[in-house]
Amino acid sequence: MFKNHLKIAFRSLWRNRAFSAINMFGLILGFTVFIFIAEYVAYEWNANRFHQNFNQLSRLSFLYKTGESNYYLPPGLGPTLKSNVPGIKQVVRIGENVGSGVLSINTGASKNVFREERVSFVDGQFLKVFTFPVLQGNGLLNEPQTMALSKTTAIKYFGNVNAVGKVIQVNNQFGNTDYTVTSVYQDMPQNSDIQADVLLSYKTLESAALRNGNDWADPTGLGSEYSYLYILTNENANLSQISAQATNLWHKLKPDSKNDHVGLQPFQNLHIAPGFSYQFQTYGSLLLLIAFLSVAMLIIVIAWVNYINLSTAQALNRAREVGVRKVLGASRGQLTLQYLTETFVLTTISLGVAMLMVLMLQAAYNSFLEKQLSLAVLNAGWFWLGGATLIISGTLLAGGYVSWVLSSFNPLKTIRSKAFLKVGGLSLRRGLVVFQFVTSIIFIIATIVLYEQLQYMQNQDLGMKVEQRLAVTGPSIINSSQRDNSIAFENEVRQLPFVKQLSASNNIPGQGYNFSTAGITKSNANPGDDKKSYAMLIVDDQFFKTYDINIKYGTGFTLPMLAHGWTKTKKVVLNEAAVRQLGYNDNNAIIGQKIKWNNDFEIVGVVKDYHHLGLHEQIKPMIFLPAVADGFFTLKMETANMSTKMEQIRSLYQKNFPGEPFSYSFLDEVYDKQYKTEYQLGKIFIAAAFTAVLIACMGLLGLAMFAARRRIKEIGIRKILGANVFSLVNLISADFLKLVVVALVVASPIAWYIMHRWLEGFAYRITMQWWMFASAGLMALFIAFATVSIQAIKAAVSNPVKSLRSE
Amino acid sequence: MLSLKQISKYYSSGGAKTYVLNRVDLDVDQGEFVSIMGPSGSGKSTLLNIIGMLDQPSEGYQYFLNEPVHQLKDKQRSALYKQNIGFVFQAYHLIDELTVYENIETPLLYQDVKSAERKALVADILDRFNIVGKKDLFPEQLSGGQQQLVGIARALISKPKLILADEPTGNLNSKQGEEIMELFKKLNKEDGVTVIQVTHSEKNAQYGSRIINLLDGKIDSSIIL
Repeated sequence: MFKNHLKIAFRSLWRNRAFSAINMFGLILGFTVFIFIAEYVAYEWNANRFHQNFNQLSRLSFLYKTGESNYYLPPGLGPTLKSNVPGIKQVVRIGENVGSGVLSINTGASKNVFREERVSFVDGQFLKVFTFPVLQGNGLLNEPQTMALSKTTAIKYFGNVNAVGKVIQVNNQFGNTDYTVTSVYQDMPQNSDIQADVLLSYKTLESAALRNGNDWADPTGLGSEYSYLYILTNENANLSQISAQATNLWHKLKPDSKNDHVGLQPFQNLHIAPGFSYQFQTYGSLLLLIAFLSVAMLIIVIAWVNYINLSTAQALNRAREVGVRKVLGASRGQLTLQYLTETFVLTTISLGVAMLMVLMLQAAYNSFLEKQLSLAVLNAGWFWLGGATLIISGTLLAGGYVSWVLSSFNPLKTIRSKAFLKVGGLSLRRGLVVFQFVTSIIFIIATIVLYEQLQYMQNQDLGMKVEQRLAVTGPSIINSSQRDNSIAFENEVRQLPFVKQLSASNNIPGQGYNFSTAGITKSNANPGDDKKSYAMLIVDDQFFKTYDINIKYGTGFTLPMLAHGWTKTKKVVLNEAAVRQLGYNDNNAIIGQKIKWNNDFEIVGVVKDYHHLGLHEQIKPMIFLPAVADGFFTLKMETANMSTKMEQIRSLYQKNFPGEPFSYSFLDEVYDKQYKTEYQLGKIFIAAAFTAVLIACMGLLGLAMFAARRRIKEIGIRKILGANVFSLVNLISADFLKLVVVALVVASPIAWYIMHRWLEGFAYRITMQWWMFASAGLMALFIAFATVSIQAIKAAVSNPVKSLRSE
Repeated sequence: MLSLKQISKYYSSGGAKTYVLNRVDLDVDQGEFVSIMGPSGSGKSTLLNIIGMLDQPSEGYQYFLNEPVHQLKDKQRSALYKQNIGFVFQAYHLIDELTVYENIETPLLYQDVKSAERKALVADILDRFNIVGKKDLFPEQLSGGQQQLVGIARALISKPKLILADEPTGNLNSKQGEEIMELFKKLNKEDGVTVIQVTHSEKNAQYGSRIINLLDGKIDSSIIL
């Protein structure tokens, strides 16, 4: 029987191939999008899960009364915790990227030099606690001056993974130190939130000599907070109890920290927050995940709705067959099974084609997401099972409904004439089309609003200029001649004819500040003023000019102020927000006033507020400090003929900073990177809107075909009575356009609410305008009309004699 | 074989009843060949459909093989006609997607007949109807006469006791029509199958053993030939 059903299914699909093709196209599109998104969800879900101790790991943080949190902790807290708080098996500290610098290998004659950014100091048990697979060596970093390399790094340096025992000289902020390789580990997977190419033993920094004067980095210190702390707890350990004990311990160690709380963030929630108001920071974005997931669900539901719509519309053609089969003795169950088989065949083919599409488009999708995804990602956890269940149940539901409609036909009526036939659920199908268009219109509106906001952010006057600014990364090796080299480099670059301005600063707009601190007040401070925080940025005298930041009062920094550094010069420049927060009057009298920050610092200038970081957040109160900086060199220049210009800058760089790799970025790109999530969301919404509209139009097409066929007699009679083509097209189209208008009415408030919530995430944002909704509606209306009118015209120009006779 | 007592079929519209059939009494015995005639709208097809249990009367008593049809449930009724009645239509109503062989086989599938037995039965009837060479063709590749031949073969495959034919030659030319009527006659005489046909043609009616004339939903005359 099943073989028979299968045979008939293939034949009737082939017989109605145009219809089957439209139907399958919708499903293929839906499945393809669904699989792609499932990959992403699976990938995000599986982040960090490869660790065997996944369920027993937690990250420590400081939670402040202000609601802010800090994940950089003093490294000295680690060992103390382990010995004082029961329930903690291991503490692992990570000084993330603290060791970045230049690694060199002596190969006898020559010296191979590599610049490495992802060089972290870690505790000895790091590779064991996090269970990163060790390929060579014992996986331990307990001794000073030991290191571990990732597989890729080892191969880069030595051509193979047999690196254990080799000595590498590491030149970073802690001077020149020789390290011996103890282990080579498998590259950390892309969906690990902990990333490092080179691991250095934390033990090394316990020696003052090997810290090269950077005593802040002392692993036993409680002063500077720069280290991640992860703990491995006993099974069934009570996290809140550990957190409370850790807090007590911290208060004992640092009596002035009474208001701080030590928080424990379970490793499961390190990547994706369990809810929207999660107090801890996460590496992944719950918003993106939810957006992705809802898009996937909606698209696949739209595809099924489409299937129902097209198949029931087509049912009319199958009615006679159903009638005959019933007369021949088919029971309803047998008929249902037969049509379900057809659904099964159609779905299976569509799913197969969708898989092929996924394989073909995977590379493009990956480059869009900047992630390494593949079907293999789904091969973990419950994803195959979940996806398969979803697809099967959806198919059963959609196919079941269609079969039910088909098998309900009264045989007598279907055999006699189609004219008597009423296919049930016309209002249901209208409802489904409305649903499809509601979803499509929401996507269109979301896309419009999102791009308007992006436009707004890009066109917003930042109070400074980022275009045609090139940022050259400064040298990482700090030595005695450093300062002179930097000054020499700056002077030589200034001589280049195409360089209009040059500034050195220790951080750049779009990237961040140097540090944030509280404890700064005006001389006669009000109580509580010392709790307010300020963002600090270390810059030279050319910074404001180079970025076209307007100086409101005073002069800004001068060359002599740089010479001794900000700790000695004791001069600052404020932005307007800082002036307000300090409580000064916004006028020229502020110049020469002193602010208190342990010592007195003289205000030598006030600059107009500018958006140092993106428009998500309010402009922070900023304090600028003068120094001969060398973190970044910003060049204001014409960007034509970049390659030759770049060569010249590179040669000057390498002359002044020998052995240092040259790296640069364009400021507008750096700045734009802050909106990466928004750009990704934008692309998702465009793709979703496009897919949804396309599938919805197919549903509409099916309904229009159906309507045209149903009303063919009416059209014939009207034509004989003298109706022209135009009035007939109107007659048929109007019905459908009404549906789109209804969809717009339903979609608008939903879209408004969703996008309103989204916009609230921006300190600087657009307000939604009526035209955004109107143009989404018009777009949907136009597309719908184009779809329907083809069918309507076809029906309207057909020969009435023919259509009436065939009745 | 079957008996209709005071069978009526009417439609109510706006309080008034429109009778299609009005208190019809009819008995048909095993082995009869009955032709139902009458002008358009006299209720011929409705009568045939009620006999075939595809339609239900509004009033009256109906017995088929001594079973009280008017008291049976839907399932029992359909089981009864599945076993005992074969239908032949004016427009043949073959399934376009199926070959001749598969069309004939379909009723057996719905009766859960085993594969080997199905093969034997279909092969047998193809042979009897002399259409073995056409078994893999699709309906659209056959002439009207051939299609109706397949239609009759399909009606006979489950060995029914009764064949109901609604204007079986209505779409055929006279020569094809004659062949089909001869076939019915032969089935009736040699195999003892009871046949009830609806026809417009006086000539085709003569093939039967009895002619019933309907007029305005009532039996006008019943003539035994």
